[in-house]
This record gives sequence, structure tokens and C-alpha cells, in this order.
Amino acid sequence: MTTIETNPTAVPPVQPTRKRRQPRRKTAATVAWIIGIVLLTAVVLYPLLWMISASLKPSAEFGSNQSFLPENPTFDNFVKVMEGVAGIPTWRFFWNSTILGIGAVIGTVISSSMAAYAFARLDFKGRPLFFTMMIGTLLLPFHVLIIPQYIVFRNLGMVDTFLPLLVGKFLATEAFFVFLMVQFIRNLPKELDEAARIDGCGHWRIFWSITIPLIKPALITSSIFAFIWSWNDFLGPLLYLNSPENYPLPLALRVFNDQTSGSDYGATVAISVLALLPVMLFFIIFQRFLVAGVATQGLKG
Amino acid sequence: MFNKLSRRAGSGVAVTVAAALMLTACGGNGGGEAGGTPDPNEEVTLNFTWWGNEDRAERYNEAIALFEEENPNIDVNGTFMDFPAYWEKRQTEAAGGGLPDVMQFDYSYLRQYGQNGLLLDLTEYEGNGLTTDSIDETLLATGKLEDQTLAVPTGYNAWSLFENPAVIEQAGAEGYEGGTSWEDYDAYMASVTEASGGEVYGGTDYTGRIQNFELQLRQEGRELFTEEGEINFTQEELAEFWSSAQDVRDNATIPARQLEEVAPKSGFGANLTASEMTWSNFMGGYLADTGAEDLTILAPPTDDPSVKDLYQKPSMLHAVGAQTEHPEAAVAFVEFLINSPEVGEIFGATLGVPASETALEGAALEGPELEVKEYLDSVADRIGDPPAAPVVGYGALENTFLTLGTSIGLGAITPEDAAQQFFDEVAVTLGS
Amino acid sequence: MTTGSAHAPTQTRTTAEPGTRPAGNRRTGGQPKRKRSRDTLAGYAFLSPWLLGLLALTLGPMLYSLYLAFTDYNLFTAPEWSGLANFERMAGDTVFWSSVQITLIYVLVGTPIKLAAALGVAMLLNFKSRGTGFFRSAFYAPSLIGASVSIAIVWRAMFSADGPVDSGLSLFGINLGGWVGVPALIMPMMILLAVWQFGAPMVIFLAGLKQVPTELYEAASVDGARAWRKFISVTLPMLSPVIFFNLLLEMIGAFQIFASAYIIGSGTGGPAGATNFYTVYLYTRAFTNNQMGYASAMAWVLLIAVGILAFILFRTSKSWVHYGGDSK
Repeated sequence: MTTIETNPTAVPPVQPTRKRRQPRRKTAATVAWIIGIVLLTAVVLYPLLWMISASLKPSAEFGSNQSFLPENPTFDNFVKVMEGVAGIPTWRFFWNSTILGIGAVIGTVISSSMAAYAFARLDFKGRPLFFTMMIGTLLLPFHVLIIPQYIVFRNLGMVDTFLPLLVGKFLATEAFFVFLMVQFIRNLPKELDEAARIDGCGHWRIFWSITIPLIKPALITSSIFAFIWSWNDFLGPLLYLNSPENYPLPLALRVFNDQTSGSDYGATVAISVLALLPVMLFFIIFQRFLVAGVATQGLKG
Repeated sequence: MFNKLSRRAGSGVAVTVAAALMLTACGGNGGGEAGGTPDPNEEVTLNFTWWGNEDRAERYNEAIALFEEENPNIDVNGTFMDFPAYWEKRQTEAAGGGLPDVMQFDYSYLRQYGQNGLLLDLTEYEGNGLTTDSIDETLLATGKLEDQTLAVPTGYNAWSLFENPAVIEQAGAEGYEGGTSWEDYDAYMASVTEASGGEVYGGTDYTGRIQNFELQLRQEGRELFTEEGEINFTQEELAEFWSSAQDVRDNATIPARQLEEVAPKSGFGANLTASEMTWSNFMGGYLADTGAEDLTILAPPTDDPSVKDLYQKPSMLHAVGAQTEHPEAAVAFVEFLINSPEVGEIFGATLGVPASETALEGAALEGPELEVKEYLDSVADRIGDPPAAPVVGYGALENTFLTLGTSIGLGAITPEDAAQQFFDEVAVTLGS
Repeated sequence: MTTGSAHAPTQTRTTAEPGTRPAGNRRTGGQPKRKRSRDTLAGYAFLSPWLLGLLALTLGPMLYSLYLAFTDYNLFTAPEWSGLANFERMAGDTVFWSSVQITLIYVLVGTPIKLAAALGVAMLLNFKSRGTGFFRSAFYAPSLIGASVSIAIVWRAMFSADGPVDSGLSLFGINLGGWVGVPALIMPMMILLAVWQFGAPMVIFLAGLKQVPTELYEAASVDGARAWRKFISVTLPMLSPVIFFNLLLEMIGAFQIFASAYIIGSGTGGPAGATNFYTVYLYTRAFTNNQMGYASAMAWVLLIAVGILAFILFRTSKSWVHYGGDSK
């Protein structure tokens, strides 16, 4: 890390005498790249494919048939799962999960980016203390917070609503996201802020028109995680939701798997596969935005 | 300045929260006065919760609809969860002061919730909204604690031995007769394993479950715990119990390593063993797990059939939260769930063979459920008084026992060390 | 050309104000002062949601759990002050120490492997700008699965005797049989499970790579730098804030591993205590044995231990983390 300047503003002058790489080497590299990545993908995806294949196994085959293919493939698991639970249609669980997921994304992105801007760019009294406290909240295993937090929300009369699951998201309680955005904002060149300031922009303008567009990759990443984590959250909904009509998927799918009254493993795996599809879709859509921001390219001092 | 202020304000809020927490943490005995029937004109919403699978959810849903039809002023809000999550939520609510009005309850938690005043004493409602003379007295007593009726059993089961005829046939072996000596049962398991050439096994190492230890103790006229809730066997006895099955583990039962691979199914559920001992209400679950058309239910081994070693365990109970605002309505709902013939018909024996005569009549058991009932009748001579309600933390000890049993099977620990660990755990659990 | 940016200040004591030189320089003149007061107001304004969350939802419960650490609390009756009893008991608790041991192994071995895998694949994906959407999604897919029984079923099948892992290894003449029933093989299995779900740090690395201005690579190419050289002198420094983030957060996450261990071990810490990680044990104490006081004490011991590690990381980060916004 000695010779290359980490500041994009200082690009050394072009030296036209150097030759570019040979095209043939480039092709070879591409072929190697493709082979490598396809192999890796196969390894990573195999367990998932096994799971999808297992969703076609009748429940009795679990345990006795561990191989990839079902002996007696059946769609019964999916039929059963789509029938709903105790009079509540299955789509309702998907819907609840979707609402919670979208709420989590909106709340997290807004509140965390604001806090991150303050931590990364503003100088104010108490910042080091607050920053330490923010990191501190990451360090305590959440199990010991379950009961006190439950009591807080119960006293606020929020039990059996989505509020306890969403309020925290709008108040940036997930330090992971704040810290993630802090790291991205701190990596942005300050010259832009300064230029904007000279032009008479306030912090709100700088935040909104300069910082936010430039940390788009971090915002997309946070959106993806916020959605997926909310989608898969089990404990929060377990504690705060009582009415089955409000259940999101992770809660609902437990009903196919109770050791004391008999578990339907086929249905359990089938609903897990179904639950995977919307998040997969969400990821596929959002990861497309995970490309270099145009603005970053145009950053020159 | 602002810094100081905010810090003070912050700790102020924290202190207030902490104080609120401490106050609510002491859940007290609230509840309403006197008994009687619910006021038919008062609009009431009852929160009711149970653990179980989707089949049970459908049945409860049907029962709730029926109850609401009969009591148009009462609205029952039913909630369901799987067993471990169910109790995690209950414990959070117990600490936070918000238990539901009516709860499906488990025997092993009865003392913990009961002795802390979290369950409504139903004594005053007996014969006054709640019919209990429909239930066998010994069974009814399992829901009592120090003369208080805290819960009412829905149904009962007993320890039993399941056998899978298809696996026996596959192995080309003879079936087990049931109720013979332990030695005989060990020989039977070995014969199945041998006949199949190791493809399937005669059974599972029974020393892994505390119920089998309890069974052997009761066969000697003893219990796991004294009436005072103290441990009633020695570390050496436990080590000896675990060691006694070494030969069986080596030659007859399914290797622990293979059991780990088929988990969460049991060896029996995965069609790998011919027999397994468990509670009689596992019939339904085992039929689903194995996919078998028919399973046999037999009496567990005993060296002396005249000893009353078995007992009727409440498969589950119904209890009312002490802080319910509508005790009469809650009791009416419990009465309906326990005694109504319609509910008996809806559930059959899925909550255990119905405890109440009226519900049992309505249930009109048939098929595998009838087999379970017939089994329970057939071992009537071996059924004795149930042990005292499980000690606080019994569920945790039961789990520890199981985990240690598995570790012994995996060769990760000696029976002596395992017994030592179990007693360490007992000291922690019963000591606090 | 300057030599790197060794003055990148740490988070905990940054004073990096726009226009000022690196930390340590005195602010002079009236202009910065005026700006400072403007910053304070804006700072609290931007921080207000977070502050509210801290005061209303996080701080109270945290302090309460700190209080509980010095009590005997069974969830059912009011907590009773017990001084240092919980901590003394912890010192002599063999199960506690075994949970510390396996958790440390998991963190020390698992975290670097997972991060290396995530960075490696992120680089691989960043190598081509087009057509990587599918692969990106494929690599992320394992991280989409929630912790449910399904993952236990899948994982047991993967590592069972004659399962794909066993068959794969036997090609190399290694015959281990099934892994799930062998306590000693549970740790490698848990680490593989964590590595398999490397999607989160991978996506963060990818996002970080997207922030590296392409001009830097072009400039390096022009300088004649080969791929490796470019990686060392452009990618790593530019990515260092993100590497730091992933390292810290993955470390914290690994210390708190719970869901997967709980699911694989069926909530019992089994087989033979091999999945009895720190938080699994803490959870068992809290909710199975109802010893919330002891569990809270364990939680605070972990907080302090990991806090010290995090502090050290922050300290060392001064020398290797370079913020684009600070270098001058």
C-alpha cells in the first residue's frame, strides 16, 4: 500500500507506452473463470436442490430415504401446505411476511442512513460515546433482552400488532445497518461535501443529494438484508403476535412440525421451499441494482 | 451540557423501565371472585392457546366454532405453536404478566406455574360450572396441587411398547409378546437385529429415557423423586442403570450414530427399529412417521407383572390464567373442552384417551385409537397411583437425561461420568 | 504522491471534519467553531431516531439485564440480589467452560474461512460485470433459508453415511462415514454450514467493490500492475473499511452463533455437547432451567470479552483501514 494513492482524485498520468494484455490470455482466463464458478455454484446449490427434491418425498420417506431422489414422488406436500392452517389461507402468511419485510426495509434504510450520516460526517458532542454504545448494543446476546423488551411493548399496549416488530426498525435499533452505512459514508471523498457546502447546501441537502446517491450499494445491501432477516425472523413474531391471522411464515410453518403431536416432514420442507421463493425473487430483483453507481465513476476532483 | 442532560435523562428512563419490569415480574394472584355461570349478556373475548400440529389446529378450530355458536357472547381467540416455542412464549408472558385466559397445559410445568400463583384455582367452580365427577379421581388429582385444582386433564396415556409388524416381517423375526421380563425383551431385540443381518434393529437403547428408569424404579416400589421433591436414587444406581444396557447397546439396539442421522425422526419412526417404548399417545405420530398401516401396542417389560409399575399420565391439561378478567367464561370454555361429547367426537384420542366419561362416549373411538384404549384397559392391573406432580425443572432434567444417554451411546462419556453430570445438574435445578 | 493514509482516525475518536487535516490538528479560527455548533444541532437531528430507539427500546432492557446478572431470578418470582454469586458459579461451571472452548474454536477457525470464501467469490463475481446476476443469486441462495427444521433435515442428509460429503471424501480415500453422529465432526460440520451461508459478507464485499473507482484499476494497469498487484495495492486498501466491517461483525456474529446450533443440536446442545455453544448454553440456562440471573451474567461476560476484542480491532484498524474520505 505504498505507491497507489487511495484517493481517486489523484490519478497518475497515462503512460501510453505500456501495452495491454494479450486477448488470448484473456480468453483462457474467461474459460477458467467459467469452469471455476460453475463448479462452485454446483457445490453451493446442491443442498438446496436436495431440499427441493425432498419436498416431493412423502413424509414417511424422511429418515429412511436420504438419497437425492424421492422413491415415490408426490405433490401432496404442496397441496397440503396450500390448504392453509386452521381456516387461515396460506397466502395470508405470505402477505403478513411481505408487509413486515417491506416495513423493515423502509424503516431500516431511512433511520440507519440518517444515524450513519451523523456518525460519519458530523462532529458533535457525545459522538464517541454514542458510537461506542451503538457498537455495544451489538455485543449483548439478545436472549437476555427478550423479557424486558416484551414488558416495554406490553406496557405500550402493542402486543398482537405488527408495531413491536417494526418500531425498532424505524428507530435504527439494528446497529449492524448503521455501522455498515457509516463505513461506506466514511469511504466517500469529502471534497464533494465541501463543494456543496461552499455552494451553500445544508446538511439535509448534502445528505439527500450527495451521500444517499453515493452509498446506493450500501442501501441496496441493507434493503436486502433487512427484508430477508425480517422474512426469516421467528422469535419476534413468536413473542409479540397472538392471533394466527397475523402470523408470518416462520411461525406458521412450525405448525407442520410438532414433536408431541406428530410432525409432517414432507409438508415442513415443502413450505420451506415455498417460503424461499419470494425472498429469492426479492434478492434477484434487488441485486440488479448492486452495480457501481454512475456517480462514483464520475468522481473526479 | 446537552450530553450530561441526555445521559441523565437516559438513565432516568432506564431506571423507570427497570422499576416497571420489577413490578410486573412479580406475577400475583389476581382473578375474579366466586363461581357460577358466565353472564350471557356480557361480550367477552377469551385468549386460548395450545401447542400442536396443523391437524390439532383444525380440530380446535372446529371446537371453538361450536363453542362460539353455543355462547354467542363469547369470542375465543385461539393461538397455536409448537411445543418448545409454546413454552418459551409462556415463560416470557409469565415474567411479563400477560398469560392467556385458557391454556393447554403440560404436566411437567404444572408445579412451576401453579406454585407461583399463575394459575386460577378452579376448586370453587367444581360442581358450579365445572363438572369434574366425570373424571376418574386419581387422574383428576394430577391437576391438583396442595388441595387446589389448578388444571383439568383432557385425557390420559400410559407408558407402552410399540412394535412395527412390517419391520418384524422384513427382518424375518418373531414378534414380541409384551409384558415379559427385561431379559426376555433384550433377547427379543437381539434376535430381530440378528435375523435381519443388521439391516434393521430390534429396538432403541431404552436406558436413554428417564421414563424407563422410572419404570424400573417403580417395579422396585420406588419413585424418581420423593414427595418432598428430592431425588430418590443414588448416583451409583444411575450409573449402574446406564451400564446395565452396555451389552444390549453393543449387540441389539440401533447405534446412536445412526439415530443422529435420522433425527428429528426416531429410529422407530424411520422404520429402522422393530420396537420402541414411549407414551401410548404416540400412536398417531408414529403411524405418520413410519407410513405403516398398522402398529402394535404392547405392555412394556417387567420382571414381576403383579407390581403396579405403570400409571395414568395426563397427556395434557387445561388451565386458566390467574389474571383472567373473565373467569366464568374461561371456566365455561374449559368445561366445554373437557366434557362435551361433541368435543370428544372432534378430537377422538388425539389429546389422549378422553379423561371425561361424557367426552369418551362422544369420541366413539375406532381403529388405532381404539387399539390404544384397549391397550390401556389391558394393563389395568399394572396401573398404580401416579407419582407426585413433577418437580420444578423436571422437563430440563428429562432432557439432560436423554442427552447424556445419547452421549453414552456415542461413546463420548462413561456411564459413571454421565451419572456425575446428571447429579450436578440435579443440584443446580433442585437447589435454586 | 503520499504514502498511504496512515492517519485514518478510529471511529471512537474521530474528529474528521471536512476541510481539516488528519486527527491531531488543532482547530483554529472562528469559522470551524461556527460550523461546529451547526454540526451539533444537525448531529442530534440526524441521530434522533437512533437516540429515541436507544432510550426507549435498547438501553433500559440492557441495564435491566445488567442488574439481573447480580441476582437470582427464576422468571416467576422477583429477582433476589445475589452479588457476585453468578460469576463465581460460572468460574467453576465445567459446561460453561466447554461452551467457551467450542465457541472460541468456532470463531477463530470459522470466521476467517467464511470471510476468505466471501471475499474470494465476491472478487470472482466482480471480475465480470455482465452475466453474473445468476451466480450472485446462486451463491446468496443458501443464506436465504431461515433457521427451520428443514435446514436440519437437509444438513443431516448431506453429512449422513453415503451422503454427498461422505461419498465425495471417499473418492479421495477418506472414509469417515456419517458425520452427524460423531461429536468430533460436529465442529467442522458447523463451520461448513457457516461457510456455506457466506452470502451476507459476500454481498457487502460486492457492494464495497462497486465503490472502488475504476480509474484506480486503469491507472494501475497503465502502471503495468498485474492482477495480484492490483489486488494488493488497489482493492485491499479501498476495500479496507468494508473488510473491517465484515471482520468485526462476523466475529461478533460467530460469538453469538445460536440458531443453526440450536436447530442442528435439536435444542439440547447434543450430540455429546458438541453444539453447546455459548449462547445455546445461555439460552438453556435462561429458558429451560429458568436461571435468568445466571444467563444475564453470562451475557455480560460475553459483552465484555467481545467488547475488548472489538476495542483491540478498532485500535489496530488505524493502521490498516483507509477511509477514502479521510486520506489527503
